[in-house]
Amino acid sequence: MAKTRESAVSGAVSFNMTPLIDIVLLLLIFFILTTQFSQLEIEPVTLPVSFAAKPKQVSEYNNVVINLVNPDAPKCKVMGQQVDYLVREGDNELSAMLKDFKGDKEGRLLNVILRADEMIPYEAVASVMLSVAKAEIEGWWITTEIREQEDILGG
Amino acid sequence: MAKTQSRQQEKIQPPMTPMIDIVFQLLIFFLLIPSQAGEAYLTTNLPKTQGPLAGKKQTFVKHVEIELRVPEEDNKDVDIVLKKMDKEVGFGRNFEGLLGALQNLRAEGLPPDYPVRISPWMACRHKWVVRAFDMAVAARFTKIHFAVPYI
Repeated sequence: MAKTRESAVSGAVSFNMTPLIDIVLLLLIFFILTTQFSQLEIEPVTLPVSFAAKPKQVSEYNNVVINLVNPDAPKCKVMGQQVDYLVREGDNELSAMLKDFKGDKEGRLLNVILRADEMIPYEAVASVMLSVAKAEIEGWWITTEIREQEDILGG
Repeated sequence: MAKTQSRQQEKIQPPMTPMIDIVFQLLIFFLLIPSQAGEAYLTTNLPKTQGPLAGKKQTFVKHVEIELRVPEEDNKDVDIVLKKMDKEVGFGRNFEGLLGALQNLRAEGLPPDYPVRISPWMACRHKWVVRAFDMAVAARFTKIHFAVPYI
């Protein structure tokens, strides 16, 4: 009896960390597996709202995300890098980049996803559309924020 | 000798603190990555830049055109002109009105695959273009494309 008391008092108090580490590692694996790394390519933009858009039609793979930001002086960003997208004779930087991506995919369908700020002028969107068409890419998607029809039309 | 024995009996415990630190950092990083929840996609056909249609304006003998005019550079409104076979059949600033006019055209017998072309002016904001697309879809048109002025 005395022995038990003594050892209980003198022994250092320690938490059992093993279950905590188990759970944290499980959570980490879950988030790594469920995160789309394409999300790292996105720039913060205010997307236009739409009720006709469909939530999940784009494959999670073979996607190139094109961001059109800064409505006052539109800039095109792909994977954090600013690229030239203005229409000219021959290929611009964007269409050349997309052709390279397409070459790397060896014939598999490449999706191009446009994320344009709602206030971007159509001129910039049209230039990007033409650059994508020049790279002969057929998977073309415009990202929107989804809303109910009543919310957009107001009743 | 006795000392060596006691050393052998001690448990080997690698330092866990740095590992736990890194694991928590990673966990927070993955939790804070911006989510794309609530986003959706529209798709249309792109203009042809190769083949016989390359460099030519895409023309359809029969089509409905939604022209989006911007009166001034920074104007918050947009003028919507609806044309059928290049004849103006409606005008307004209200997208509900556009929807009604498109639904009327469908009621008059236009099939769902009747081509609809959205022709925004260059200064037209992206949100109005998407809104016009929405109205065409709501009127159950299926063949919708955007006019690209460069070709």
